[in-house]
Amino acid sequence: MSSTWNYIFRRVLYLIPVLLGVCFLIFFLFNVVAGDPTGILLGKHATASQMAELREQLGLNKPLIAQYFDVVKSAFTFDFGRSWATKQQISQMIAQGAIPSLSVTLPGFFLATVVSILLATIVAYFRGKGIDLFIRILTIAMMSISSLVYIMVFQWLFAFELGWFEISGFEYSFPEVMPYITLPIIIWIVLSLGPDTRFYRTLILDEMYQDYVRTARAKGVSEKKILLKHVLRNAMIPIITYTVVQLPFLLLGSILLESFFSIPGLGNMVINALNASDFPVLKAITVLSAVAYIVFTLVQDILYTVVDPRVKLK
Amino acid sequence: MIKKLLSLLLLVLTFASCTKKRDLNEKVLNLTVESKVKGLDPINTGDTYSSTEVARVYEGLLQYHYLKRPYELIPNLAKEMPKVSKDELTYTFKLKEGVLFHDNKCFKDGKGREMVAEDVVYSFKRLADPRNNAIGWWILDGKLEGLNEWREKQKRLEKTNYDEEVSGLKALDKYTVQFKLKEKSPQFLYALPMTYTMVVPREAVEHYGKEFLNNPVGTGPFMTDTYTQSNKIVYHKNPNYRKETYPSEGTPEDKAAGLLEDAGKTLPLVEKLVVVIQPESQPRWLSFEKGKLDYISIPKDNFETVVAPNKGVTEEYAKKGIVLQISPDLDVTYIAFNHEDPLFKDNVKLKQALSLAYDREKSNELFYNGNGILAQTPIPPGIAGYDKDYKNPYMQYNLEKAKKLLTEAGYPRGKGLPVIKYDTLAKTVSRQMGEFFKKQMAKIGVNVQVVTNTWPQLTEKVHKRQTQTYGMAWVGDYPDAENFLQLLYGPNSSPGPNGSNFNDPGFNKLFDKATKMQPSPLRAKLYEELAQKYSEKVPWILGVHRTSFVVKHGWLENYKFSTFNYGNVKYWDVDLKKKKKLLEKL
Repeated sequence: MSSTWNYIFRRVLYLIPVLLGVCFLIFFLFNVVAGDPTGILLGKHATASQMAELREQLGLNKPLIAQYFDVVKSAFTFDFGRSWATKQQISQMIAQGAIPSLSVTLPGFFLATVVSILLATIVAYFRGKGIDLFIRILTIAMMSISSLVYIMVFQWLFAFELGWFEISGFEYSFPEVMPYITLPIIIWIVLSLGPDTRFYRTLILDEMYQDYVRTARAKGVSEKKILLKHVLRNAMIPIITYTVVQLPFLLLGSILLESFFSIPGLGNMVINALNASDFPVLKAITVLSAVAYIVFTLVQDILYTVVDPRVKLK
Repeated sequence: MIKKLLSLLLLVLTFASCTKKRDLNEKVLNLTVESKVKGLDPINTGDTYSSTEVARVYEGLLQYHYLKRPYELIPNLAKEMPKVSKDELTYTFKLKEGVLFHDNKCFKDGKGREMVAEDVVYSFKRLADPRNNAIGWWILDGKLEGLNEWREKQKRLEKTNYDEEVSGLKALDKYTVQFKLKEKSPQFLYALPMTYTMVVPREAVEHYGKEFLNNPVGTGPFMTDTYTQSNKIVYHKNPNYRKETYPSEGTPEDKAAGLLEDAGKTLPLVEKLVVVIQPESQPRWLSFEKGKLDYISIPKDNFETVVAPNKGVTEEYAKKGIVLQISPDLDVTYIAFNHEDPLFKDNVKLKQALSLAYDREKSNELFYNGNGILAQTPIPPGIAGYDKDYKNPYMQYNLEKAKKLLTEAGYPRGKGLPVIKYDTLAKTVSRQMGEFFKKQMAKIGVNVQVVTNTWPQLTEKVHKRQTQTYGMAWVGDYPDAENFLQLLYGPNSSPGPNGSNFNDPGFNKLFDKATKMQPSPLRAKLYEELAQKYSEKVPWILGVHRTSFVVKHGWLENYKFSTFNYGNVKYWDVDLKKKKKLLEKL
């Protein structure tokens, strides 16, 4: 156990160089690639003198090294200050945006994963048979349609024509939120089913041709038992790899779903920040994403030891 | 286990399908905005969406008459129009008495106190405060005696001193405010209905500090509790709103449209406003069709389904009681030439040739459903300086003349002319406009390269004078030709609003003269001269003045389109009986 804790401690320490690197990258992109943000921030009547004043206020006239340290400081203290464009507190913006984003992406992701694994297991069980062929064709067909089409058609059909759900909007309380988020969740699942089912089917089929499966069959173990007890368990490592790394990005929501369903999530916040040269917001989102990514890969490593006792964290 | 899971699923689906029932017993306006609102601080409302929301809560000294066109300024917090001194430099305003700020915990006992002259002075100083670096500062920059000096001095202090007097901005007594201008500027009055100068109480700003933008405290007809950056803003009627009544004057068309039926009624006419943020046009349109929004600008994709060829509403929508309003917008679209670029600096014939080769009617059809008014000068219809009979000889499609001028410019059939860069936004329609420009220019042998940019990139290129040509639109800040002509005024060159860096001494001199004059037929003539004479030098290839197409449900009463839609919601009403009936038809 102590080696596991050592491992976790070491991985947490990795955060320091990673964050320094992320800070350098975003600082470089903002200061070298992106231009002067003051013109866009001051609007169509910006004057040279007002732009100069704003540059001073935002600290853009400081030496580059001092500006870099400001970025590092905010990344390590998680104090990102206020948005340049909206003047809102960034921590508040993120807190207010994360809940709506996650209320769609988390259940969507969870349900899509469960259903995809279920479908993949069924088609793997019936591999080469009619149902396998049907689901494979169906998933390819589903993947061939643009996500925008799903969103527009589902919104028109289920919310407008049939009136089963609200057309758009969001509520911060349960169960009031349900009519607003159910349709986006369904769309998320539909969008994920195609690629996920195909991916999991391949993983499961890979396992099904392993030596231990042949041995089990030779010993007379039923096909159902082989699939559910042995194959699925061994397929868990790549499944965890695939799913856990996606989790941090769920926080950022889905830009299209949020736009069409007026969900006040983080997806639109990033786009608005990009359009407004809102560096503090972009910085906050990038740093938080990096931290979340590291934390979730750590969770991933720990989960490996749970599903496969042969894996040791050293 | 399976039974439990199924029950849970059923429960969730039951909640999911419980769409909201409408409350048809209370007068509620259901409105939409296309973009997230930044916050509700008047001095930082640079965009239309935030300005519209701010003006529901706050008020300025003046406002536009709701019905009259051309737009006319009338008092709002001011008791009457100002007394102007003989030298036209001093404007003295008497304020309405008994106007109360909204009840709020920033006041003693939570009761809103009376708005007085000192509040006006404070609000103006706040706009000038260098620490606020307000978007709206341009409206006062260089205008009031002593204000720029006050601003400069504050930069050197540790904390802004709002108690220090400014000679051009004084509260003479509790209800009298005086402004002294540095030089004649009749346009100063247009600053007073704008959201930037709306009146805020000092207590609220000091109490809430940086969170003031989320805790609006105004004198307006509606109020909201804490504002959160969500997808919805709910306002309630201000119970202490002063006695203000619906206007009794309007045009015969207004009378025919029933817009004078509520004359004399106490404002506001509804109890509540619900504003939802919907960035995409499809949900906006579907919500309108379901009756969840009271009115909407028609999205481009739905135009043909709702607008008949005769510019009326189609039969299908007429049956549902939907009404169409077509109104000209105060704006202009254009392709600007950068006059800092050696290619365009002195070569008027080249610019004229390119302009003549651009088929603006086709462009109007493609991008504005043929509903724009082809612009002959930068000045849009509806304001002094617009001459409906004037035809700019260089804004007519004529390929032969274009080729001839191109030869005279030194580039026969485009020979020797480098590839011209056209900068635009990386949005679908902007890109299509760029491709259209490229195709048009190819007809006379001119090669154009379309360069797409993000909004910050394009803004920076224009500010740094790095473009050759670029597509742009200007929406008027106020109904005075000065606001459009200043886009060609030399001293306003980049990073100012004159992104084309057109700098003609003759234009500048005449502009200086005209813009200092009070509104008069002579000034209108000067504006016409400025617009026509210099548009023929083709600083821009002019596009269109756009037209607004709005549809509203039959239950929304008193709606009239305005480019300056700030605070107009107090005039709107909902006929609940009609709403119940019409909803059944949707």
